[in-house]
Amino acid sequence: MEARLDRIPRAETLQYLRYRGSELGRESLDELARCETLLLQTARPRLVWRLFPLSADGSLRGADYRPAGEDIRAFLADCDSVVLLAATLGAEAEALIRRAAGRDMAQAVILDAAGSAAVERVCDNFCDDLAAALAPRFLTDRFSPGYGDMPLSDQRALFRVLDVSRRIGVTLSESALMIPQKSVTALIGVSDRPQKKRGRGCESCGMRENCSYRKEGKSCGSF
Amino acid sequence: MDRSDIILLDGAMGTMLQAEGLPVGQMPELWNVTQPETVSAVQRRYVEAGSDVIYTNTFGANRYKAAGCGRSVKELVAGGVRCARAAAAGFDGVRVALDIGPTGRLLQPLGDLGFDEAYDVFREIVAAGVEAGADLIVIETMSDLAEMRAAVLAAKENSALPVWATMTFEATGRTFLGVTVGAMALTLTGLGVDALGFNCSLGPKELLPLVEELRTWTSLPLIVKPNAGLPDPATGEYNITPAEFAAALSKAPALGAAILGGCCGTTPDFIRAAADALASACPAQPAERPRSGVCGASVCTAFDGVRVIGERINPTGKKRFQQALREGDIDYIVLRGVEQQDAGADILDVNVGLPGLDEPAMMRRTVTALQAAVDLPLQIDSSDPKAIEAGLRVYCGKAIVNSVNGKKEVLDAVLPLCKKYGAAVVGLCMDENGIPQDWRGRVAIAKRILDAALACGIPKEDVLIDCLTLTVSAQQEQAAETLRAVRAVKEELGLRTVLGVSNISFGLPARENITVSFLSQAMYAGLDLPIVNPNQSAVMDAVAAFRVLSGQDRDSEDYIRRFAATAAEAAPVAKSGAEMSLGEAIMRGLGQETAALTAKALAEMDELAVVDRLLIPALDRVGDRYEKGEIFLPQLMKAASAACAGFEVIKTRIARRGGASVSKGKIILATVRGDIHDIGKNIVRVVLENYGYTVIDLGRDVPPETVVETAKRENVRLVGLSALMTTTVTSMAETIAALRKSGHDCKIMVGGAVLTEDYAAQIGADYYAKDAKQSADIAKRVLG
Repeated sequence: MEARLDRIPRAETLQYLRYRGSELGRESLDELARCETLLLQTARPRLVWRLFPLSADGSLRGADYRPAGEDIRAFLADCDSVVLLAATLGAEAEALIRRAAGRDMAQAVILDAAGSAAVERVCDNFCDDLAAALAPRFLTDRFSPGYGDMPLSDQRALFRVLDVSRRIGVTLSESALMIPQKSVTALIGVSDRPQKKRGRGCESCGMRENCSYRKEGKSCGSF
Repeated sequence: MDRSDIILLDGAMGTMLQAEGLPVGQMPELWNVTQPETVSAVQRRYVEAGSDVIYTNTFGANRYKAAGCGRSVKELVAGGVRCARAAAAGFDGVRVALDIGPTGRLLQPLGDLGFDEAYDVFREIVAAGVEAGADLIVIETMSDLAEMRAAVLAAKENSALPVWATMTFEATGRTFLGVTVGAMALTLTGLGVDALGFNCSLGPKELLPLVEELRTWTSLPLIVKPNAGLPDPATGEYNITPAEFAAALSKAPALGAAILGGCCGTTPDFIRAAADALASACPAQPAERPRSGVCGASVCTAFDGVRVIGERINPTGKKRFQQALREGDIDYIVLRGVEQQDAGADILDVNVGLPGLDEPAMMRRTVTALQAAVDLPLQIDSSDPKAIEAGLRVYCGKAIVNSVNGKKEVLDAVLPLCKKYGAAVVGLCMDENGIPQDWRGRVAIAKRILDAALACGIPKEDVLIDCLTLTVSAQQEQAAETLRAVRAVKEELGLRTVLGVSNISFGLPARENITVSFLSQAMYAGLDLPIVNPNQSAVMDAVAAFRVLSGQDRDSEDYIRRFAATAAEAAPVAKSGAEMSLGEAIMRGLGQETAALTAKALAEMDELAVVDRLLIPALDRVGDRYEKGEIFLPQLMKAASAACAGFEVIKTRIARRGGASVSKGKIILATVRGDIHDIGKNIVRVVLENYGYTVIDLGRDVPPETVVETAKRENVRLVGLSALMTTTVTSMAETIAALRKSGHDCKIMVGGAVLTEDYAAQIGADYYAKDAKQSADIAKRVLG
């Protein structure tokens, strides 16, 4: 399964920009389109993944890793296997976004938001491909270190298991943040039963206490 | 010839240890201490299969990856060398290579690891490996040239062992970080490694085209250590057989590779098959003269025609630039680089010398910041050897040093630096007795510089001669002497030439005519690297035309593209902005119009009045509309950037007059330690600058000490801190505590996605800014 970035969903980009429905105007629309094109040309999306059977104690069979926290246990309750995924837009896109900040902040904020939308798109495409490949079995949503009570430090174990740095060139900072920033790691459960979409509601979100949408009585899924 | 010309390496280590029961994700180096006999047994099988060199099992034995494993780097490395020694025992001539892999962290500017710290991580491994008795050092699987440089310097400065260096490439011909084959070759050849090439990456077949390209850039021995094809993502298994591997690998010697082995997925069977297939192989001789040039962190500028060196990063005669240097306004300097890159420069000259300034520190800072913003190779321009070395040490790539001259003490001080860091060097045709008036005298000095460089080990291709341009209005006959000297240096000495062109027209009206005409004549005489102002389109037009007439620009492609682009751009500029108000220009985000209208307003009002009565009220209106949701973030940023163009007009005018700045006060901004997200902080910064505040931007991942020191030294009364993650709000609290404890009197505002009004108060901040607009309101309250 190749990393596929076919397009960058405009609605998601606007959501990351906390767009609240004002008139956008020709110039802003042009700028959005320009940034999307630039990113599509520059990004070199890559991903690495691997499927592991789950042991009864919640650890991955054949790997030295047991995902931490209660939330992931509940999330994978119905599953007998789990897919570990790491995906990135690559260093060139990262450099593009960072360099824009030095010369044109308007473009930089759009590129940053579109970059987030783009790497999510790569993950969505992967999940579609994976679902097709594993059918008739079912997939859960994606669950990432930092969600719920899974600590960010799980990132390190996940990186070792997938050999992420060597395979797709993503590294971890001292505080376990991914660089390039437009990268995602996730666990995806595999089950014989249909899985309800629960990974994306406010209840399971690590930002639920502080989310700026929630402060305004909205959610990022319905702004 | 027989296989004595080929050095056979080993195959995978991780793959083999996993087959022996090492769980995926566990640190293989631990086994050097806990199960040394298993590690040795694997290596023994490689020796038996025919390996002449075996790598120690120390790929990840660095302080970050070993943290918490219960063993020190020294123990893991010493154990690794011991295992390999035991495996090689009894086999004559089998050598043990200390294996060094990437740290797993990314160096600045994209990452958070500093060059000096990376160097120290590698130094620790090298010291342990040397002590344990390794025969050579292999640095492998690197994708970042900056990290590779740190490792090579650590190896060369802390051991006398041979150093081999290999990087990991994708089929696109670039590493994950975008490094090209040429950039790797120029940089590593310059640094004096003993062999270089590729490992990991791809299967042998896919690597062959890259080997072919590498051969054109260097005459050093080449290394190829590919994977067993490509991995199956579901299982991690590789997809080609030992026979297929060996068949493809055996094509590498004909392309010039002499040091061969296997990486991920290869086993002793692969090495045995390779040994058989290579039994009668003989590596092709390297090209007599590899391609030459210079490079930045990713991209090369080959010396294969006229290349433009941009001269604008230089304080001489530029008041605004001098002010930026004195204030440490690095962004102003970096923007001059970005502008020149956009204008078509191929290389940027960097001169930051100013009396009373710590030039080595400024050079290091400028080189680092420029490399984060532009891809172009740099020319480090200074007369202070300390500043030159400060720049070269952190420069990622192969630089040019500007300059030496015929004076012995200058040659003795600067040439060894060029040799050590692998830089090309500009030699000026002058010495103790000044500039010879006759062209023959200049050529004689050039010859002396060349001989000194060669004696120092610098290759001829890296010696560039500047025959010196004198002002034609003062010494009219000298223009012809300079051109004669250029031709002679080119034809008699076979060297490339550099020339600072603009000086020719000093003191004359319509300078551009003289400059451009002289430039064309100099190029015809053999000038390769004109140092000019690329922002002058007539200058760049002359270069574009020359490249067509001399046949360098095949089928005039670049020329046609250049003028097609100009024609397309020319049209919309014609639109008149005459009737627009300054406020409207800002609201619509039109930078050029804002600058023009600001200049117009300055004819009637003084600077402060323009700021207070026009620029700031316009920004307030934009801010209000943003708060009401009538415009969104990119529009706010666009307006702020337009206002910035207005402020720049004012700053330049004041700098020229030497007057006091219009700053409304200093504000520190920093993303706290451990946090690398800085887009929010950058947004705040743009807005604050446009309200007339001087922002001291400390960047991201900033330790509390740096914030405290800067606040005290610069006597700053408002500090803004940003943190995006719940985990890094802790370091925000630490920074606030450190500021309070220091006794420095200042207000602190905080912002970031996970913060709230309550949370901000709880960690001791004075203000919570929910967005950039609010940070400006807070600044008004605190600083006025």
